[in-house]
Amino acid sequence: MQLEFTLNGMVRRLDVEPDETLLDVVRERLGLTGTKEGCDEGECGACTVLIDDRPVDSCIYPALAVEGLAVRTVEALSAPDGALSHLQRAFVDRAAVQCGFCTPGLLMTLTALLESNQNPSSSEVDDAIAGNICRCTGYSAIREAVRRAVEEVSA
Amino acid sequence: MFRAVTTVDAALRALDELGPGAQVIAGGTDVMIQRMTGSLSKSEPLVHIGRISEMRGVSLGSESITIGALSTHRDIRTDPILAAHLPSFVQASSTVGGWQTQEVGTIGGNVCNASPAADLGAPLLMAQATLVLVSSGGERRLQAADFFLGRRQTALEFGELLTAIEVPIPAPGSWETYIKIGRRSAMEVAIVGLAARFVVDGAVSAARLAFCSVAPRPMRVPDAEVSLVGTMLEDEAIAAAGRLCASAVSPIDDQRATASYRTSVVPRLVRQAAEACRSELV
Ligand SMILES: Cc1cc2nc3c(=O)[nH]c(=O)nc-3n(C[C@H](O)[C@H](O)[C@H](O)COP(=O)(O)OP(=O)(O)OC[C@H]3O[C@@H](n4cnc5c(N)ncnc54)[C@H](O)[C@@H]3O)c2cc1C
Repeated sequence: MQLEFTLNGMVRRLDVEPDETLLDVVRERLGLTGTKEGCDEGECGACTVLIDDRPVDSCIYPALAVEGLAVRTVEALSAPDGALSHLQRAFVDRAAVQCGFCTPGLLMTLTALLESNQNPSSSEVDDAIAGNICRCTGYSAIREAVRRAVEEVSA
Repeated sequence: MFRAVTTVDAALRALDELGPGAQVIAGGTDVMIQRMTGSLSKSEPLVHIGRISEMRGVSLGSESITIGALSTHRDIRTDPILAAHLPSFVQASSTVGGWQTQEVGTIGGNVCNASPAADLGAPLLMAQATLVLVSSGGERRLQAADFFLGRRQTALEFGELLTAIEVPIPAPGSWETYIKIGRRSAMEVAIVGLAARFVVDGAVSAARLAFCSVAPRPMRVPDAEVSLVGTMLEDEAIAAAGRLCASAVSPIDDQRATASYRTSVVPRLVRQAAEACRSELV
């Protein structure tokens, strides 16, 4: 079936199957492999993308349900010249990445948080990323990175 | 096949045309996984109702609050009408999965999927909600108690949609909560959940206790509710109600918890809810 949606600012038109997930379309059909497949059942958040600015698990989201909507993946976070976003920069500076598999999903969820709430409390940060599982960092470096990104934007 | 519709009428036409095999998909957080794992057949057509805007949103009437079936857990969690009148719904939706699940999962999907652990089942039953079911033949209204029939079984018939949930506005002096026990505090399916309401006017004039995850369907414990009427939620009254609840439930062992653990948690949840109410109201 025909699907048309906006991916990272570009209109995409393609044929997809009824049960194809948004993750399949983004990675396999459109070749954007920044979004990761973790658990494939909506539990781990590695596949988080933003649909109309809201975080969703793309591994259980039917691709055909994004008809006409705007999807953003981790590839859209940096500027066209490659400059990292404040949040990405803070992840690098605070070493909030170890194996890196959960990082794209965490960046998308936290980007959605910071776009809707410029100064989240630590419990708001924890609540926002409850659906993003990181087995390496223990989350403290991630929390610090968020705080740093907040400080930089407000500075 | 994936048929996307944007009105209730179009959805009902599609269901009639496609026949009993057709699967309604709202957010798809249950349906997609069930089709991936084979508990639902992938060869059956999908009718995607997620964009029917007339089925989404919360409105306050003179006697009841109407919650559109497509309202997401995020909608419910952030709704000021529900925060003011039905905080147990807000609390229950806040505990469903993570942010990503809450953005996509709907109250209608939670209720129609009818998992014994569905968080919204308990507040629906506690609040004596009415479910509005619509088909091409017309509309019927069912009490929550008549809608949940068993584990993953509801009174919903082929060709029917749940369009809205109507919840009576609680009486003055009502206090309510939803408490959920999981293995950890977030991203957990309930081991036991309790939606409790106490109407307090000096003493307790009415009480309602509805549990999820302790029986095939959400259940109230009328004996325990009645036992609290006329009390001031004294420790002994709470303990007695907790014992009645523990003897009424029929939980099972599963990968999350044993039946005996569930039963032992039941009176503790009653105590937690009643003590919280007592410290605020009595
Ligand atoms: C990671 C994860 C965590 C979760 N955690 C929880 C949790 O903590 N607590 C909990 O209770 N649930 C949980 N769930 C289950 C699920 O997210 C919820 O039950 C959600 O509310 C389902 O809504 P949906 O719109 O996605 O339903 P769908 O998957 O679209 O539909 C579910 C069922 O309801 C039917 N249906 C949906 N809407 C209607 C309607 N309006 N009329 C008629 N039939 C309808 C469908 O045909 C299907 O049978 C979790 C799921 C995931 C993936």
